[in-house]
Amino acid sequence: MSSSHNETTMVLIARKDLKLSAGKLAVQCAHAATSCTLVAIKSKKRLLERWKNSGARKICLQVEDLPSLQILAGQAQSANLITHIVKDAGHTEIPAGTITVLGIGPGPRRSIDALVQDLKPY
Amino acid sequence: MGLRSFIHSLTAPPFRHRNVIDEEVKMVLVVNTNLKMGKGKIAAQVGHAAVSSTLKCGKEAPDLLEYWLASGQKKICVKGIDADNLLALEKLASSEGILSTKIHDAGHTQIPSGSLTVLALGPDKESLLSKITDDLKLL
Repeated sequence: MSSSHNETTMVLIARKDLKLSAGKLAVQCAHAATSCTLVAIKSKKRLLERWKNSGARKICLQVEDLPSLQILAGQAQSANLITHIVKDAGHTEIPAGTITVLGIGPGPRRSIDALVQDLKPY
Repeated sequence: MGLRSFIHSLTAPPFRHRNVIDEEVKMVLVVNTNLKMGKGKIAAQVGHAAVSSTLKCGKEAPDLLEYWLASGQKKICVKGIDADNLLALEKLASSEGILSTKIHDAGHTQIPSGSLTVLALGPDKESLLSKITDDLKLL
């Protein structure tokens, strides 16, 4: 993956083992994307503008299970990236409190790609 | 409040007069199922729609946005038939004064560039939204 130094991106990393339906997955990813954006409004406004103006790039990736998701969350936090972990309210499909999706970004594409380069698209 | 949003609050026309919000506030995301997108693709497109409509609502109806965020930012994802169906729903929504956001794909993957993938409605009151989206099935 090659990218110029000022490209920005957001990744939404979902747990494959939960076998969510398409609609459920979409809603969980939308939660992550919205929450990350709201964090960016407060803490990284210029980055947010750049990301929005360049098409608000988002991709949805998968991890095998919860531990892999938590490791990535830790790495992203250490890299000083915006992260948000979505816990489901449990109205449908899965028990309340289940961690479903990790959102990372908007942030520099290079730093985010470095963390997620081994993950498969969902 | 920043200077710009302060000036905006003085000069912007009121979006709609709202008193007390006393019912559920939701965002409805209508997916164009005719495009047969993969799960991950749908998730990213719905993510776009949710972010855009959140930002739009922040400008046009901040009290509604606050309420929606504080009540757990409820979102539901439903099936739309095709692009025409989504456009028809958008018209209905605007006649009810409901915010809507259309997402057109950049066409990097899976589908032709410019396809209408998702229509976001709201966040708005359940009673208003249900007039439009009651017949749509959950995705």
